[in-house]
Amino acid sequence: MSEAAEPRRNYELFDAELSGAVLNTRLLLRLLKWMRPYWKTLATSLIAVCATSLLAIALPIIISVVVIDHVLHPQSTVVAPSFGMVWLTEWIASNTGWSLLISACALYIAAQLIWAFTSHLHRMTLTQTVINGLRDLRHDLFKHLETRPFTFYDNVAVGRVMTRVTNDVESLYELLRGLGTLVGELMPFAFALVVMLTLNIEMSLILMLYIPILVAVTLVFRRYTRRLFRLVRQSVSALNQNLQENLSGLQVVQLSTREDYNLRRYHRINGNNLLFESRSMRLETLYSSFNDSMASVATGVILWYAGGQVIQEEISLGGMVLFTRFIDMLFHPIVVLGEQINILFRAMASGERIFQALDWDEAIHEPEVAVKLPARLKGSVEFRNVIFSYGDSPVIKDVSFSIEPGEKLAIVGTTGSGKSTLIRLLSRFYDISDQSIFVDGIDVNRIHTHDLRSRIGVVLQDFHMFSGTIYSNIWLGKPNVDEEAVVKAAKTANAHDFIMALPDGYHTKLAERGQNLSQGQRQLLAFARILTTDPEILVLDEATANIDTDTELLIQDALKTLTRGRTSIIIAHRLQTIQDSDRVLVLDDGEVAEIGTHDELLAKHGIFYTLHSLQFQPVDHDELQQRHQR
Amino acid sequence: MFRDLLRLVPFIRKYKGRLIGGITLFFIARLFEAAVPLCLMVGINRLERGEADLLLPVLGIVGAVAGRFVIVSWARIAVRRAGFLVQFDLRDAFYKHLQYMGPNFFRQYAIGDLMTRAVADIQLIRRLVGNGTTMIVIFCFATIVGFSCMTLLSPTLTLFVLPPLPILFFYTWRSSLKLGLASRKVQEKLSSLGAQVQENLSGIRTIQAMALEDEEVRRFDDHNQAYTDAFYSHARIHSIMHSVMPTLAAASAVAILGYGGHKVLQGTLSIGAFTAFFAYVTMVVQPFRVAGMIISMLQRAAVASRRLFAVFDYEPEIPDQGIPWVPETIRGSIFLNDLTFTYRGSNQPAIANINLTIQRGEMVAFMGRIGSGKTTLLKQIVRLVDTPKDAVFIDDFDVCDYSLNQLRTQIAYVPQDPFLFGEPLRTNISYDQPRRKIDQVWQAAEAANFAQSIDEMAFKMETIVGERGVTLSGGQKQRATLARGLIRHSPVLILDDCFSSVDTETEEQILSHLAAVRSNKTTLLVSHRVSTARHADRIVVLDDGQVEEVGTHDELLKHEGIYAEFERIQREGSDEDRSLQSQIGLVSR
Repeated sequence: MSEAAEPRRNYELFDAELSGAVLNTRLLLRLLKWMRPYWKTLATSLIAVCATSLLAIALPIIISVVVIDHVLHPQSTVVAPSFGMVWLTEWIASNTGWSLLISACALYIAAQLIWAFTSHLHRMTLTQTVINGLRDLRHDLFKHLETRPFTFYDNVAVGRVMTRVTNDVESLYELLRGLGTLVGELMPFAFALVVMLTLNIEMSLILMLYIPILVAVTLVFRRYTRRLFRLVRQSVSALNQNLQENLSGLQVVQLSTREDYNLRRYHRINGNNLLFESRSMRLETLYSSFNDSMASVATGVILWYAGGQVIQEEISLGGMVLFTRFIDMLFHPIVVLGEQINILFRAMASGERIFQALDWDEAIHEPEVAVKLPARLKGSVEFRNVIFSYGDSPVIKDVSFSIEPGEKLAIVGTTGSGKSTLIRLLSRFYDISDQSIFVDGIDVNRIHTHDLRSRIGVVLQDFHMFSGTIYSNIWLGKPNVDEEAVVKAAKTANAHDFIMALPDGYHTKLAERGQNLSQGQRQLLAFARILTTDPEILVLDEATANIDTDTELLIQDALKTLTRGRTSIIIAHRLQTIQDSDRVLVLDDGEVAEIGTHDELLAKHGIFYTLHSLQFQPVDHDELQQRHQR
Repeated sequence: MFRDLLRLVPFIRKYKGRLIGGITLFFIARLFEAAVPLCLMVGINRLERGEADLLLPVLGIVGAVAGRFVIVSWARIAVRRAGFLVQFDLRDAFYKHLQYMGPNFFRQYAIGDLMTRAVADIQLIRRLVGNGTTMIVIFCFATIVGFSCMTLLSPTLTLFVLPPLPILFFYTWRSSLKLGLASRKVQEKLSSLGAQVQENLSGIRTIQAMALEDEEVRRFDDHNQAYTDAFYSHARIHSIMHSVMPTLAAASAVAILGYGGHKVLQGTLSIGAFTAFFAYVTMVVQPFRVAGMIISMLQRAAVASRRLFAVFDYEPEIPDQGIPWVPETIRGSIFLNDLTFTYRGSNQPAIANINLTIQRGEMVAFMGRIGSGKTTLLKQIVRLVDTPKDAVFIDDFDVCDYSLNQLRTQIAYVPQDPFLFGEPLRTNISYDQPRRKIDQVWQAAEAANFAQSIDEMAFKMETIVGERGVTLSGGQKQRATLARGLIRHSPVLILDDCFSSVDTETEEQILSHLAAVRSNKTTLLVSHRVSTARHADRIVVLDDGQVEEVGTHDELLKHEGIYAEFERIQREGSDEDRSLQSQIGLVSR
């Protein structure tokens, strides 16, 4: 892989809003892949939906054809087809000796109960398929994102990545459930259509004339509401964002006396929301009332037209009643389709975003055949002519040095000299050329990153405190670490005492990012966390923060224990931290400027010497006084 | 439950005209609706008798339908809009109330919790007003109209139709309640899944550095499964409801089939009436189903109302009673008179018996260990906590006598943890007055040593920062919030340990600039660094809530107390390094 240059990635693509305005069958097929393990439940669901639809048709047939035509009004000469219902009723009657009416009732009850069961079965199996499939998809997506390299996270906003896993998968639920609902609606629609056509073709055609009208109205309605719904959604999220932010920063708001101004601003957003919500509510109400009315008008039309036919004995009375009962089954799917179409389009876009993330193949190159590391590393590290750049301009220019097992090396240098980058390369957070960095003489590119990183304990400058307890922050879910090990690590890292002084000890809950601890205390926890894994090589990128004097002493002391018996590399911002180190490396603009022991470097009167004098300069009180007087 | 709902009355009363109008219209609409099956019955009966004249029933249906369409739409819109209006008012009131809440309140209510109240609870109340009212009306009128029509057609058959209805009502009520709870659970699980992902991604570098990806995926799977389970049990309740409710309603249909059919055979009921009965049953089944939902909706809205009013009833902790005769401009002298302050719920004062006089134009540094009371003391001055009376005086007037507005406009306080809003840097810095001239904003940024960093950003002052914007480093955030304080050129400036992520050289530059421009203005600052504190005219060392030492850098060094100890530690590092120290001392001198 050595010089195979990684193509320059366009990260804006990841953040861009994808428009999935077209029905994308490829995407649906790809989604089906996640449903495949559950094909049995899906098949059950399909069978159940067929049964449910048939029963939904049978129930009105029992009322109109069996009861009205055969039992109550048998004098009629035309008989509507009953699709076996009359035969079943007569079969029940002959086997039980009940009257035809009672038998019809019994059949109705039986059909209703079976319907209740199959429709439940249909919904639940469908839900199961969908939620299990999407759970797996979500797992795959999370796992994929979890292993994207630093370069990826350096360039995309965390919020955007997060929406992929939550909102976008959520939209897919809607999509798949919506499709399921459509199947559940369209199947009875199709069956009803067949029954109607066998009953009376003319009347069916008249009723079907309604469908285009309804479709047209639905399309117009959805066209208007789509934009409106988007505005409603946007205004709702603007409202919530505003409130959330105002609460998080309330102290600043109060200190800046911005209460009234902010209230006016919220009031305005609230007003916008009211406007859009009311508009869409009005449209929606008109539309649903219109649908109701259409159904009633259809009843009138059937009565009018079928009336004549009944007189002419073209259709039975029961047949006509059956027609009125099918109206809903014909109209409802169209209404539902209208409801689903917006969701469908939105979900398509979500699907595209999810697959874009899944297809994002940016990764640290893993060796084809990884070198198995020995049970314990000796701990020597060598950088050999390392060159590295994030973009065009190199950050690390030809750096070479080596560290003996157990040696303590301190790295100093000004901001932007490349210190943090240098140690990030050691743990392979970024890809480098082969034969650049060696651990125990092994090229790091030949070691699997997981193996390498579990041997090198890194405390990053911006190490993260997770929400949860102190205990879980040290433990971090590592399977081979027990409670004893956690406490031991905390003791070694000088964190035990302050932890025990907290109200709930190790079970004290941390606020977001550990805000309820001081920076120094967080640093001690980060030390303890590293100690639980007992790494052979320790890398510490010191936080710049100003730490209170008491904790500072604890940190210095902990560092001594921490580095004992391991190779350690420490990036120091305060020179106190490095007084203990064997050698000091001064990095300047991506190059090794000086390297040697403390005393050697001081004697050299170079960069290190200057840095030193800056931090330990004596106070010039006269000058201060003068400044004040000015 | 009713007491909780009654509290909503003042919010709803505003729209009573609209609601009463809507309800009246609903009643009229129901009459039209009842005419449809009636016309159908007339038509079917005519057919049965072999009459072909159906014009009248058909026209009747069309007319009734058109009338109903207009009236129902009108009524629904009127009532639903009332719901939205109530929601609008409640949101405004809630927001306004929260703006004046203090630290104790936020210790009791987490922001996430308040968000749920503001979003989900208010929405429940909106639904109650907008849809609940509609449902109650449908219930009353559909039942009355439906039953009267049925009784008119056949009283005995009506009796047969009745029994399943109370069962239906009861079932729907209980299930809706369960469904509501289940749906809240789904929301909770979804948001905890979201929180987990968010947290994980924010700490992704730490996770990868420690090779913890597998553990994290496992943790994610737990949340993922919990959400899936919650989703499933919600779907189950929902699905069972949708199977059971029609089946219960079908019991009434069977009664019509059996008994009604029997009556038709006897000749005591027309086939038209027989079919009309099915329509009427649908008409009364609906309200009974809805009634169950209403009850559960009322219950949930009552809970929501209780949760909302718990917040509304929380009085602002910091009373704002400005007295008219305090001077309009603060000059900047501060006098602490035996100030003692104890946090609510604590039995030990955080600061005790503090006496201190600060002259206008002084720069005073506060030092001390964690928890020694530095921040608590400074918060008293701008009343971020409920400052006791007769303890803190500004220009010889009790701070409690100033209006909060005046106090906080003229005293700039830069808090410890830097908070930035998801807005451009420009408005973040000029937060108190969003319409300041851009030059002034740049000047403040310059004073905070932040201008150069801003200049390097692509959108400069218009760069959006905060949660949804560009991520700034800790030091950059601190300098941005510092600029927010400096832009006000206020007579008193309080800097509460706001240099902690800024390196020493930058800090020195900022402070020496401040000392120059604020020579006749008061500046108070908290720091851990001796290198910072030594810039001050005086240094106040707090220990365990009490003033231990006060004096200049030199005085305190001579005093050989806590300050001198701090100085020694910070100069030398830890005790064991004396040998090395001496060398450094040699070289640097």
